[in-house]
Amino acid sequence: MKQIAVYGKGGIGKSTTVSNISAILSMKGLKVMQIGCDPKADSTSLLLDGARIPTVLDLVRERRNDFELSDMVYEGYAGVLCVEAGGPTPGLGCAGRGIIAALDKLKEKGAMEVYKPDLIIYDVLGDVVCGGFSMPMRGGYADQVFIVTSGENMAVHAAANIALAVENFQKRGYAKLGGLILNRRNVRMEEEKVAELAEDIHTRIVGTLDRSDTVTDAELLGKTAVEAYPDSEIAQQYRTLAGTVAQMCGLESA
Amino acid sequence: MLKMIHGAQDRDLRAAHTTAGEAGWPVPFPSVLEYNSPAHGPWNIVHMGMLIPGAHQIYVCADNCNRGVILTAAEMGAQDRFSNIAVSEDDLINGHMEELIIDGVGEVLASLEKKPSVVLLFTVCLHHFLGTDLNYIYSELRSRHPDQIFIDSYMDCILQKDGLTPDQKLRIGMYKCLEKRPLRPDQINIIGNDLPMNDGSELLQMAADAGISVKDITRCASFAEYMTMSESFLNISTYPNARPGCEVLSRRLGQTSLYLPQCFGYDEIENELRSFAEAIHAKTLPDFASLRAMADEALFHAQKIAGSTPVAVDYTAFPRVLGLSRLLLEHGFNVVRIYADAFSGEEEEDFKWLAANHPDTEIYATIHPDMRVMPRGWDGKLLAVGQKAAYFTQSPYFVNLVEGGGLYGFNGIRSLCGLMEEAIAAPKEIEDNVVRKGLGCLSCIDI
Repeated sequence: MKQIAVYGKGGIGKSTTVSNISAILSMKGLKVMQIGCDPKADSTSLLLDGARIPTVLDLVRERRNDFELSDMVYEGYAGVLCVEAGGPTPGLGCAGRGIIAALDKLKEKGAMEVYKPDLIIYDVLGDVVCGGFSMPMRGGYADQVFIVTSGENMAVHAAANIALAVENFQKRGYAKLGGLILNRRNVRMEEEKVAELAEDIHTRIVGTLDRSDTVTDAELLGKTAVEAYPDSEIAQQYRTLAGTVAQMCGLESA
Repeated sequence: MLKMIHGAQDRDLRAAHTTAGEAGWPVPFPSVLEYNSPAHGPWNIVHMGMLIPGAHQIYVCADNCNRGVILTAAEMGAQDRFSNIAVSEDDLINGHMEELIIDGVGEVLASLEKKPSVVLLFTVCLHHFLGTDLNYIYSELRSRHPDQIFIDSYMDCILQKDGLTPDQKLRIGMYKCLEKRPLRPDQINIIGNDLPMNDGSELLQMAADAGISVKDITRCASFAEYMTMSESFLNISTYPNARPGCEVLSRRLGQTSLYLPQCFGYDEIENELRSFAEAIHAKTLPDFASLRAMADEALFHAQKIAGSTPVAVDYTAFPRVLGLSRLLLEHGFNVVRIYADAFSGEEEEDFKWLAANHPDTEIYATIHPDMRVMPRGWDGKLLAVGQKAAYFTQSPYFVNLVEGGGLYGFNGIRSLCGLMEEAIAAPKEIEDNVVRKGLGCLSCIDI
């Protein structure tokens, strides 16, 4: 089983990118589990025709421990196993603690032993702001971290911050930095800025995605681009990226 | 000057008491803010941890959270086996929680004159809340101190209400250093008790008759002896909180696990002893008819002395407090009150029996906040079994016993009868006895 975590500035396109990768690798025969680690709980909606599933924390709040794995793991498009960690009520509670609790609950319920995914993708909230949000990059979780960025300053700063966290944790044997995924916003000197970032944080750009209205059109349908517009250029770019990620994880499609 | 308020206020205290006929099952009282009475005989995690010969305990917590455990260690004269790593707000903000523990433990170990057999490292609710990476901590500690055994332990109040409690986790943890060894068919363990089983118990006698030695951490004189518990082919647990530890250990080492809870129903006792006999391949069985008769005789004798004296019992004396109440009622004792906050699922049958046959028997909470103001005392003489029963009724005629006192089987019933007779005959100082922590451990308190 391989595990990766995808971080990046809020709104940069992590969930969209991750959902498309999940769908593609699942269609290639891998069993993929996508775990949304964001209190907004919208990571997997594009795999579920826009629907929202009950989050792990919703279940814990409502039923304490009286629920099953099937209550928190849903099968989405192309057989992707979808989980949303959830979070506290906005403005109240601690989201980081919520991520810890949700991941602990998945482990306690034996999610990995039961479903035996080939690949788990943690789609994690924008910045590593506290211990809870760094949990997906810990030992026992992701092997590699990928950061989605654009050439916008805030995205670059967020990416650098996340890379710093990954570097700080290296002596603990936590996840390594796999690379950057450039999700273009067509800002000035975007390629150069992200290339410079990659050099600064000792990594590389593993994939590039053009800005595409097709993605927006697919989202309006509540779908990934690879589902709604499989022959589109952006769908092909997602396939290339998914292939790179799978290769970097040492995964071979079934 | 503090004002004694118990009994002094005119208020409705019905939330803290009910009757057997009306009590809800299995939790008769709401779970609210808790009152902690001065009855401190039951063992806490410090007492338990010190049972491992040569163990050293390290608590990582804020200074004030350390208060209870360090006083426990001091009271039992075990300060030299106790250390604390203080957590400050800086550590939380700056994310140094892992390094604090790793470096702190190193400092503690360097300061000790003698290497501990085992380090029980207690992390707390802060670590739980912050998601401190305990796996990393223990991995790093074991890498830096390869000759030192570390046991992950918890003083985490957040864990009290859900899943395994810190008490249960420690009863699992205390046996984690036992390593897989060839099993001996002539040796068994009693797992997870704080107090040794009574020497005269049928279970120990049956083992002796079968040529089987019994290992119990409460009687291990050395760490080496404790480690030989790995070689037992069978693990017995008799205390409910010990059951998870017994089962986890048995699975890990390939031993057989048998849960034989301390109980008071004659049929249940006999069934347990028969199960035990089968497990140890005993060639003979005790004369159960004779054992029952002797227990009846002891109860008869004790009841003659007690007469119609009201009796109050509490759960800290015996986990199966309802089973005890039923035994006493069936043998003519005037059990008027049971102190318990909740009942084990194992006691449902006895609960129903009480509700049907003695519905007016009172059931009082012990931790409900109204218990701090509930009038204490009893008009006349009362026999109390347990420290909380003694404290809340202010009866000096009490059996001072916790966690079942090791009184197992029919022999245990006879021993209890003797203790009740002694209690009725000779009053004891309540405060002097009940405030001492960990009954059975050394206590330096001078009242």
